[in-house]
Amino acid sequence: MDEAPILSVRDLGVALAPAFGGRRLLDGISFDIAPREIVGVVGATGAGKTVLAKAVVNGLDRTLSASGTVRFRGRDILGLDPRAMRPLRRDIAYVGANPMGALDPTLPVGRQIAEKMRAVTPGVTEDAARRRVIALLEAVRIPSAARRFHDYPSQFSGGMMQRALLVDAMISDPALLVADNVTQPLDVTVAAQVIRLMRELTAQFQTAILFVSSSLPVAREAAARTLVIDAGRLVEEQPTDALVARPVHAYTRELVAQIPTIWTGVPAQPRSREAGAARRPIISLEDVSQTYRVRERGTFAGTGALRAVRNVTFDIAKGDSFAVVGESGCGKSTLMRLLSRLERPSAGRILCEGQDIARLSGGELLRFRRKLQLVLQDPFDSLPPRTAIGAMLEAPLRIHGWRDAARIRDKVRAVMNDVGLSPTLYDALPLGLSAGQRQRINVARAMVLDPEILLMDETLSALDQTEQFRLLALFDKLQSAHGLTYIFISHDLAMVRKACNRVAVMYLGEVVELADNGRLFFDPGHPYTRALLSAMPTLEERRYRPEDCLLDGEPPSPIDLPAGCAFRSRCPRAFAPCAGQSPALVTRGAGDFASCHHVPAPGAGLAQAAAMGSTGRIRRTNCGLPKGMPPPSRGASQVKGRATRGEGRR
Amino acid sequence: MFVLSFLARRLAQGAVIISLVSLLIFTLLRVVPGDPVRLMVGGMAPDSLVEKIAAEMGLRDPILVQFGRYAGHVVRGDLGHSFVRPANGAATGGANFDDTTRGERAAVADLIRDALPMTLQLAALALVFALAFSALVGIAAGLRPGGAADKIAFAVSSIFISLPNFWLAIVLALLFSVKLGWLPAIGYGGFSYTILPALVLAVELSPVLIRTLSGAVAAQMSESYVTVGRIRGLSETRIVVAHVLRNAAVPMLNLLGVQFSGLLGGVIIVEYILDYPGLGLLTINAVLQRDFPLIQGIAIVTSAIFVVINIVVDLAATIIDPRLEY
Repeated sequence: MDEAPILSVRDLGVALAPAFGGRRLLDGISFDIAPREIVGVVGATGAGKTVLAKAVVNGLDRTLSASGTVRFRGRDILGLDPRAMRPLRRDIAYVGANPMGALDPTLPVGRQIAEKMRAVTPGVTEDAARRRVIALLEAVRIPSAARRFHDYPSQFSGGMMQRALLVDAMISDPALLVADNVTQPLDVTVAAQVIRLMRELTAQFQTAILFVSSSLPVAREAAARTLVIDAGRLVEEQPTDALVARPVHAYTRELVAQIPTIWTGVPAQPRSREAGAARRPIISLEDVSQTYRVRERGTFAGTGALRAVRNVTFDIAKGDSFAVVGESGCGKSTLMRLLSRLERPSAGRILCEGQDIARLSGGELLRFRRKLQLVLQDPFDSLPPRTAIGAMLEAPLRIHGWRDAARIRDKVRAVMNDVGLSPTLYDALPLGLSAGQRQRINVARAMVLDPEILLMDETLSALDQTEQFRLLALFDKLQSAHGLTYIFISHDLAMVRKACNRVAVMYLGEVVELADNGRLFFDPGHPYTRALLSAMPTLEERRYRPEDCLLDGEPPSPIDLPAGCAFRSRCPRAFAPCAGQSPALVTRGAGDFASCHHVPAPGAGLAQAAAMGSTGRIRRTNCGLPKGMPPPSRGASQVKGRATRGEGRR
Repeated sequence: MFVLSFLARRLAQGAVIISLVSLLIFTLLRVVPGDPVRLMVGGMAPDSLVEKIAAEMGLRDPILVQFGRYAGHVVRGDLGHSFVRPANGAATGGANFDDTTRGERAAVADLIRDALPMTLQLAALALVFALAFSALVGIAAGLRPGGAADKIAFAVSSIFISLPNFWLAIVLALLFSVKLGWLPAIGYGGFSYTILPALVLAVELSPVLIRTLSGAVAAQMSESYVTVGRIRGLSETRIVVAHVLRNAAVPMLNLLGVQFSGLLGGVIIVEYILDYPGLGLLTINAVLQRDFPLIQGIAIVTSAIFVVINIVVDLAATIIDPRLEY
């Protein structure tokens, strides 16, 4: 790096203004970025990464005061007032973590990008700006860019919006791009696309990037050199590969050690609590679908059918840790609402120990509610802020008919002890508790009724790695002590790898793969599963190369689904049959199933399925065919799998 | 296409609302105490005559039958005739039961047609005054919450909202007409007669508008697109004028739709006090005289105006913010 650095930060410090307490957020940060270089910045939540990104672009709030220097091409920009800074905005671009909030929601995306271009590059005509925006939108692979130019932010998905904002940043050929956690709100497959795109764009436009991320694996995807920030201080700076291989600072070592591994070093695979033949289904889904009616704009009374969950069939065995994974919009939250009977399915049945839960009412429903409890995602909004923790935990017992105050108190204390909450919290309010502590209260609130099934809707996704570890250990302990069955609804494959023995992968409302943990991660049957695995942020060498598996584009709308396989528009292996018929779940032997025309499944699979014995059933379904049409002749591809299988591949 | 289906749907809903309102008014008027026929023929008329006239006018039929007959006429554009007002505009009411002029009572449609433009003119001017003032104060207050403009806005709003409109009308008339002689106050003889009542109404309207506007602007200024917009290189003026005000206009529009109904209510008092010959004055006289057809006519026309204004407001809001669906 002989060239003069494009950005040179020396002794940068940021503190809250004295009126707000004067707390120091950043201290003594110094680093350089050479032209065309990508530099990563990683650190935990609250370490000061976003403050650093904002300071570098001279966009700090008025409540913050900065010291030190930030030299861009040798000129200190930290003290420039907004008016003097504006000509530099052409060369210093910024993309943030909240793509949906970055533009005015009431004006078309393209127009706003053109507006920015004309604001920072004087003398560009409106027409020229529009043509350049459309050209760049095409370059970031936004389909039918000329039409999309006129669409509003709300009509873009998160991933598409983030790509549009990259266009917004690159439109003026900046010399430096500050990317603050750009992939954080995106699904893994889309995030991988965005990172790939950023690397292409920097090569094309000769832009240097400061790539801020809360995830070391993500930063490694993008950056050759990485800075580690802990509590406002720069603790380590190394080429990224060396940083991962030989972390020097204690914090970095901890950070690297906490990155979950998928394929290596997983100690014992999670297994079901019940051995072989004793496994029996506690929950069975039979051809369950949920369809919502949505009003269509521009019609008098027209409605469209949004098919959120389509023909889902599987069993969850007692003692299982069952995971439902998939990206946003795949129907996993709808499935959660169906399983917890917040909604009834529009077709099909959900059986809990043989009882159709849609038909329950009154006392029976209350008994079902006691059996299945829900633990929610958001540890902050899910607890009433002005209720004592003890009272919160007593409420479920009172609802379920407990009357003796002393017994209730004893029970609540026992459960608090179980989940690791100090008994001194009994009369405390939840204010000031950490996310992890709050999530323990949520677990305790579910456990107090002695349920048999816990339904975890993204329960761990709001917690950092350390807390996740602790809660997973707690779940493990509770499961052995109480014989619980867990259903995890999650997008986090690393967590699933660690905690679940059986996994269902959902795409556009369908279960596309259903397999035991080891098989799913080492020998996935569906191209979508492979794509998910290839896009996972991890420090290991990948089993599945993104170049082979990664998806283009985004899922189609669940309102008008394409004919044939729903995945085919993004599938790297799509071929002729995929357009004609939607593949059914096909057994891949030993209780694993995938719905793909590529899965070889003739006689062998059928024979195996037939030999599964009393718990394995062969069922014919007309999955993928319009209702009322007779199912095609019985073939291997029509053997629909059920999860109740004795021996897996353990 | 969207606009057409929107209009079709909303107009259909509006028709339902209007017919429900008229049925309600129609029923209520006939169950409250006070016999209009007694008022028409005068206190000295014999009971038999009252009954005879009431039967002639169909006032002793079941309410639904009366309503059906009435609705049939309304659909054809005939709002009926006033019970008490003569067509020639002479004195209303009848002290003599053998008054010969009663045969030519005024058509309700004509009475409303004369009064409505006066009130619309008044309401529009009041709205212009209120909007101009509120925009000035409200936007300045919203841009710097807690600043001087915000404090002034708060003080002005507090004072304005505490002034009773009947009192303000009298004081302003005293000040501008009697003392200063700048503006005419009582009756109507040209456009200048509208200014004083419009000022009174504007004072009544502005506090809510100021409050909403400054709140909306302040809320928009803390949206992330404003912060990001600065970093993207947009000028402060551009951010405020092209984006913040655009977004803040939506809650403002919705409020205007609601406030307009309040305006027509305020009109009743102000018109009565300043003797402004609009819909408000007509309404109050009709109510005092138990003039059922006139009250009904006014109710139908007023509810139709509400419906139309709210459709226009919602359409405008949808055009500004395409995420909205009504």
